[in-house]
Amino acid sequence: MASTERETLLDPLINNNPIALQVLGLCSALAVTTKMETAFVMSLAVVAVTALSNLSISLIRNYIPSSIRIIVQLTIIASLVIVTDQVLKAFVFDISKQLSVFVGLIITNCIIMGRAEAFAMQNPPLPSFIDGVGNGLGYGLVLMLVAFMRELFGSGKVFGFSVLPLVTEGGWYQPNGMMLLAPGAFFLIGIFIWVIRSIRPEQVEEDFHVGALSEPGYEGSVR
Amino acid sequence: MKLLRDRLDRIAPYFEKGGALEKLYPVWELQDTLLYTTGDVTRTGSHVRDGTDMKRLMITVVFALIPCMLMASWNTGFEGMRAIAYGAAPLDTWQTAAWNALGLSFDFKSTFHCILFGALYWVPVFAVVMIAGGICEVIFAVIRGHEISEGFVVTGALLPLTLPPTIPLWMVVLGIAFGIVIGKEIFGGVGMNFLNPALTARAFLFFAYPAALSGDAVWMAANLQGVDTYSGATLLSQAAATKGALAGFDWWDAFWGWVPGSMGETSAFACLLGAGLLILTGVGSYRTMFGVLLGTIFMAIIFNITGSDTNPMFSVPWYWHVVLGGWAFGAVFMATDPVSSAFTARGKWAYGFMIGVLVILVRVVNPAYPEGMMLAILFMNMFAPLLDHFVVQANIRRRLERSAA
Amino acid sequence: MQHSTGYIIGFSAAVCVVCALLVSGSAVSLKPLQDRNALVDKQKNILAVAGLMSSDETLSADQIQTLFEEKIRPVIVNLETGQVDSETDANTFDQRSASKDPETSQPAPTNASKILRIPYDGLVYEVVKEGEVKTLILPIEGMGLWSILYGYLALDTDLTTIRGITFYEQGETAGLGGEVENPRWKALWPGRKAFDERWNVKIQVKKGAAGPAKDDPYQVDGLSGATLTSRGVTNMIRFWLGPDGFGPFIAQLRDNPRWTSVKGT
Repeated sequence: MASTERETLLDPLINNNPIALQVLGLCSALAVTTKMETAFVMSLAVVAVTALSNLSISLIRNYIPSSIRIIVQLTIIASLVIVTDQVLKAFVFDISKQLSVFVGLIITNCIIMGRAEAFAMQNPPLPSFIDGVGNGLGYGLVLMLVAFMRELFGSGKVFGFSVLPLVTEGGWYQPNGMMLLAPGAFFLIGIFIWVIRSIRPEQVEEDFHVGALSEPGYEGSVR
Repeated sequence: MKLLRDRLDRIAPYFEKGGALEKLYPVWELQDTLLYTTGDVTRTGSHVRDGTDMKRLMITVVFALIPCMLMASWNTGFEGMRAIAYGAAPLDTWQTAAWNALGLSFDFKSTFHCILFGALYWVPVFAVVMIAGGICEVIFAVIRGHEISEGFVVTGALLPLTLPPTIPLWMVVLGIAFGIVIGKEIFGGVGMNFLNPALTARAFLFFAYPAALSGDAVWMAANLQGVDTYSGATLLSQAAATKGALAGFDWWDAFWGWVPGSMGETSAFACLLGAGLLILTGVGSYRTMFGVLLGTIFMAIIFNITGSDTNPMFSVPWYWHVVLGGWAFGAVFMATDPVSSAFTARGKWAYGFMIGVLVILVRVVNPAYPEGMMLAILFMNMFAPLLDHFVVQANIRRRLERSAA
Repeated sequence: MQHSTGYIIGFSAAVCVVCALLVSGSAVSLKPLQDRNALVDKQKNILAVAGLMSSDETLSADQIQTLFEEKIRPVIVNLETGQVDSETDANTFDQRSASKDPETSQPAPTNASKILRIPYDGLVYEVVKEGEVKTLILPIEGMGLWSILYGYLALDTDLTTIRGITFYEQGETAGLGGEVENPRWKALWPGRKAFDERWNVKIQVKKGAAGPAKDDPYQVDGLSGATLTSRGVTNMIRFWLGPDGFGPFIAQLRDNPRWTSVKGT
């Protein structure tokens, strides 16, 4: 693999992580991370959707009339999400039941739209595909980390296997209920961002101030 | 005294810049300034200062807490032993073992017995909070190179009083660590935190280990399993469960504080003593406290008038609300935290009033949480800067108009 | 690059057609698999409450379906008369959707479980072994603290001994009310009695601990720290075993047990 492609793939994992640096895609990250199993399936679904949407948008990028490009991207992404949801319902019913609406809500995940608009519209299909995989993985990485902590401390399990035997089941570990609530994920992601930015201070943003969102050059977004 | 001063001065060079233990300067500084008013003087410009620095301020709060601390010891012991007298089994803990080893009886009529038995529960929690909180504080002070803030002494004194006697000590460690790190240090330390760290710690424990912080079983230093004639539930949860439950209790019992509850929160009287000291010294704002009271009265009366067939909490009058649960403790010690409350005078009235309204809302309408003081204060902590903003804007506008005229 | 209006319309039409084909194609082709999944999931819950399958046991979808068809028979019951309704096809009837449809349901009287509509017909499952009914499985639902709990209650043929309880859908606080799914708590139910001697519903989830089923047959341990969820469970059992729920059906069965009449089918 050429070095630029490797960079395209690996850059979104730590250096330019969609959740930790760009703070995108938070709502699903809070909702599906109580168990590693659901987080894993969700990560796969997001990787599939970002990669395929990047690929297909890149393939037709020269034919899309710019006046309707956003709605075209949205149509393609929405279709891919529905297909993904159908596939999950057909093959991993238990997990798709737990993921409930959050697979459908991948549509609203800013990462996918953002990559389609920022990368796939300007680049050939292969790099776009790789970029999609990379960003999906970057999202998945944080999801899995958060889910690992939440499942381990919240239910004493890793991937459904009991690691810390719970008091209620005759063991010694008193589970931390906070981890199972959405704020638990919020704190974990916050701490995760804190750690990354302590190690790499260059990721710290300029002081945010009221009105920054409307200023030119402000790229962050909160979703 | 001279000897002590000399000692501190003698070891000072090790801790100052360039010394071998330079990194531990915050620890030395803490010792030094806790014992003596700081030797540092303002160097630029002219300032008027009195001797009341942060440390004296914080110490005043701790003094104001002393009645609550005494009540924490006494009432924990009293409630536990009274339940035992009614047939509850002593808890299977080291406290009971120590008590039996001392050869003491579970005599709830003896004040000395009560205080000693309660102290066996309260003191370890207090010590653990202080040690664990202190360690977190020192770590951050050393890494960040700032002085150790005294805030943790107050946080550490407040937190144990809001916890039930049966709380496991490891939970206490987690709670105080969360309160200090996430509630305070993450925002830059004392003065930067927008939430009250002690309440942040309690909220963390409340949501992380709900079974250890709510329910009937946790409020007593005795095992009530199978005792039907005696309820260990807090008055608030009893009031929420059955209509007219409070009729069986004396209001004065709740005022003096000999009812089940968090260790140091039950006595409105002890809190009132603390409030007196805080208001007298100007450390705690009377505006906030009376704001809370007004808000409570206002909202309670609205609910009294509305009434409800299914929810007995609607009919609880305001004078019961203020002696139940953590109301008095929260209004006096938690809401008045100078960092996380509003700064402006009118902001404090509004802030207090809204806390009063919210606490009644949570208590009456929310089915899951009988107590609403913690949630109300934390919620209003977040709005305090906004209230200040409005007050300041209003002032600016008024002055502009005046100068324009 | 500027495009003509015709091109833009043509392009969007093409995108729409391709996407529509993709979506409908996948939906249609995967539908049978999904339906089967949903069915197997429901059957699994019923088998679990009937005690025919433990919750940590993993059976393949085929095994579940065979076991279900072999052991379980769905029966439709008219809730008002308590009579078995053999005209409606029990295999396609869905009580939950029936209770939402104004054609097949009526508003419920005010009740503690906050149930808004009750269907005319209820779907009951009978566990059949060697031609004889062994257990009766009744659907229950009702408000807990935050959410509606959906589950099943299994009754013995003496119509009062509880054989098991399960909840397959709930949104209570994890660790407190969420413990209704805890196998240890569910294991406290079998052997307890739902009705007293005069056939009034007596079973309740009490506050605190209850004794063993033998000595304390009408009470079950409360979920610690979850008074309102516990009360919700009591309320919903009382509702569904009471006159607005399966009460008439149970009364009917007491006078006129079906078990013998179905022997040999």
